[in-house]
Amino acid sequence: MERENLLTEPLLSVRGLTKRFGSLTANRSIDLDVRKGSIHAILGENGAGKSTLMKMLYGVYKPDEGSVEIDGRPAELHPPAKARAQGVGMVFQDFRVVPALTVLDNIALAVEKGWGLRRRQLRRRIVDVSAKYGLAVDPDASVWELDLGQRQRLEIVKVLLMPGTRIIIFDEPTSVLVPQEVGAFLDMLRRLREDGYGILLITHKINEVLAVADEATVLRSGEIVFRAGQGEELAGERLIAAMMGDKTLKAVSRTAGGPDEAPAAMAVRGASIRGDHGELALEAFDLDLPAGRITGVAGISGSGQRELAEALFGLRPLASGTLEIGGKPMKPGVRSFIEAGVTLVSEDPVKESVVPGFTILEHMALDGYPLYPKGLGVDWSRLRAELTASPEAAALSVAAPDRRAETLSGGNIQRMVLARALIRRPGILIVSYPSRGLDIGTAYTVQRQLLEAAAQGAAVLLLSEDLDELFKLSDRLVVLAGKRLLGPYRPEEIDQAGIGRLMLKGESA
Amino acid sequence: MSLNPSPSVAAPAGARSAAAKRLLSWLRQLLVLAIPFALFGLFLLAYGVDPLELYGSMLVSTFGDLYGFGEVLLKATPFVLTGLAAALPAKAGLVNVGGEGQLAVGALFAAWFGVFYLGGLPAWIGIPAMLLAGALGGALWGLAIALLKVKGRLNETITSVLLNYVAVFLVGFFVHGPLKDPESFNWPFSPEIAPTLRLPIFDGTRLHVGFVIAAAIAAIVWFVLARTRLGYRIRVLGSNRLAAERAGMRIGRMYFWVLIAAGAIAGIAGMIEIAGIEGRLRATTGANFGYLGFLAAMMAWNHPLRLLLTAFVLGMISVAGNTLEIGSGLPASAVTILMGLVLFFILGGKRRRG
Repeated sequence: MERENLLTEPLLSVRGLTKRFGSLTANRSIDLDVRKGSIHAILGENGAGKSTLMKMLYGVYKPDEGSVEIDGRPAELHPPAKARAQGVGMVFQDFRVVPALTVLDNIALAVEKGWGLRRRQLRRRIVDVSAKYGLAVDPDASVWELDLGQRQRLEIVKVLLMPGTRIIIFDEPTSVLVPQEVGAFLDMLRRLREDGYGILLITHKINEVLAVADEATVLRSGEIVFRAGQGEELAGERLIAAMMGDKTLKAVSRTAGGPDEAPAAMAVRGASIRGDHGELALEAFDLDLPAGRITGVAGISGSGQRELAEALFGLRPLASGTLEIGGKPMKPGVRSFIEAGVTLVSEDPVKESVVPGFTILEHMALDGYPLYPKGLGVDWSRLRAELTASPEAAALSVAAPDRRAETLSGGNIQRMVLARALIRRPGILIVSYPSRGLDIGTAYTVQRQLLEAAAQGAAVLLLSEDLDELFKLSDRLVVLAGKRLLGPYRPEEIDQAGIGRLMLKGESA
Repeated sequence: MSLNPSPSVAAPAGARSAAAKRLLSWLRQLLVLAIPFALFGLFLLAYGVDPLELYGSMLVSTFGDLYGFGEVLLKATPFVLTGLAAALPAKAGLVNVGGEGQLAVGALFAAWFGVFYLGGLPAWIGIPAMLLAGALGGALWGLAIALLKVKGRLNETITSVLLNYVAVFLVGFFVHGPLKDPESFNWPFSPEIAPTLRLPIFDGTRLHVGFVIAAAIAAIVWFVLARTRLGYRIRVLGSNRLAAERAGMRIGRMYFWVLIAAGAIAGIAGMIEIAGIEGRLRATTGANFGYLGFLAAMMAWNHPLRLLLTAFVLGMISVAGNTLEIGSGLPASAVTILMGLVLFFILGGKRRRG
């Protein structure tokens, strides 16, 4: 330990940091060092206390106990202005940007002091920093035009241009990136490290940690349960084991479905779907969803996944073509699709599924349990009893029925929405990005539940950006690329590279 | 709520701090109500009126005797109903500013039926029939907004405001023309309705049973929203339309019927104005009651029962306007400044909490 400290003195060093919210201890005596020119990864499941820790380091929360040193001198980080003044910058998961302004103006807002605005000089600095770290952003683009990856790059440029930034905290940075962008992002992290920045990387993606991190600290239930690095080799299995604690991890894999084609629960023929602005999102495709099978949908994000899922749930009318469920043509409208046994787990449950002010129990009656009548009202006690006894809710450890859903974290909302969809025992289950925002343990549980649903006869359409997940679960794979739907392919007969080529180039590859 | 000091309570410190928090939030709400009165007091001082004296007489005239209390309730009655006409759609995510027009058309229908068809009937059937006529008129005006919303995809906020003007002119047309009292020496008002159609009055006041009707409707709206399956669906729709859509709710149909129900409730307010107070339709019947009801609903955060209270406060302020005019020479409408301040601070108070 002594020798290591001689090698690289920590820029930031915290000891015994504790934060309580009422009776909940979100962080308990955390010790942590961030060194110059090094990447320190913080791992943990949802709710392990990662975000609380980061918010203390960025000065959003004031720690209840513990001390902070910067360059070996005692320091105060709360409020964030103080943290920033001492060189701590943070790249948030939800970006703090003004959509109506340009990139340049957004950066000016954060960086420039005083009355004058030296645009030319600022533009030059933006261009310099972008070029140096491979952070392609157009200073004159309006932020509302940018996709999530570009917004993140803007956010990083902003942090780098703030005077005196030495320590950068990244909060789940790759969750907003498409797979193609992740590699470039990790390269950028390495370049920042070479230039001497101290980097704190919050994530639950083990592969990224193994790829770039020098040190790793694992949090569980608000405490540090594992540290590695500074000479030691980082090992994936040990990190997973530390994150999961005594829960046993059973990797998921399907029992290969036979070659026999099951009857199609849903059959789509010659269908075209329009996007939000009337443009064609998918053209003239056929798709069967066989009962008891999982059909995986691969594709670069934005290739028509949302439009496809919504059309198969009746939310979006087909521009042309036919859609039959159980051999019968469908009337338009969500209601008839729900009555025919279709359920959708939408790709953005926070926006599309959470009803502010409503408890988890009340959410369960929205296309989950029926609204059991009791006089003119609802038999909430029956609903509560069934939810409490539900194996699906237990397996996904859905939070307490009386919690208000808008207070839940993204992962907990995802569990609630998935449990609700499974509880309905749908004949056709359309599920978008089921393990997005979930830790590995829960993601495995979700995957097992999907396999279980298929085994019980449900036709599952699985949209995912995770090729591992798609290959692990799918009986058949289709690919969305260039407004076409390609396939189906058998996962046994095509590999990830093959699917990747199709995603990028379509069938000509 | 009382604090339980027994040792079985796991976290007495937590319980105490929760109680303290509740007290604090209660105090803040009180402050939010107190500041506008203080500011209006400064305004009064500038005009040489003693605010304490005015506020004192306001309290005395409200709670001092039965008559004054009745006057306040009388004023509050239409605010409750037009407030509900804003609050119910608000729970479904709609902004209905049309209470004004719906009240006017409700009054028109009530007067029309009352004058021409219901005069010979006994009270026990005539009054309910006239109430239904008022509800029908308001509902028809709500129907116009609902059709424009659901079939025409027009924003209900805009159409409801614009239709208010149409409604007021429509009433003007009738009191100058087809409904004009032939014995009125050319004044623009309708003939008087039969005495059997007047609402029963409580002894010693001018207060009629209209307030009971309004309170009952508020209770029904509360019950429907809070306790029924329909209310659950309305609240889901109002909180997150996308989630309601994905749960298979018939959104267009719900918007449609909620707007019509709101119109009917405001129409009943029009009927009560005719049958309870004026006895005949004038071009000015119920003027501004729709907007004041909207204000009451905002102050109550669209909660039907809290609305009873905010309507009462607005009633008190309205009555105080008369006191002000008599006592100090300031116009009665000076109290609209106070109403504006109250609304401003209530909205501002919510902002900080949210």
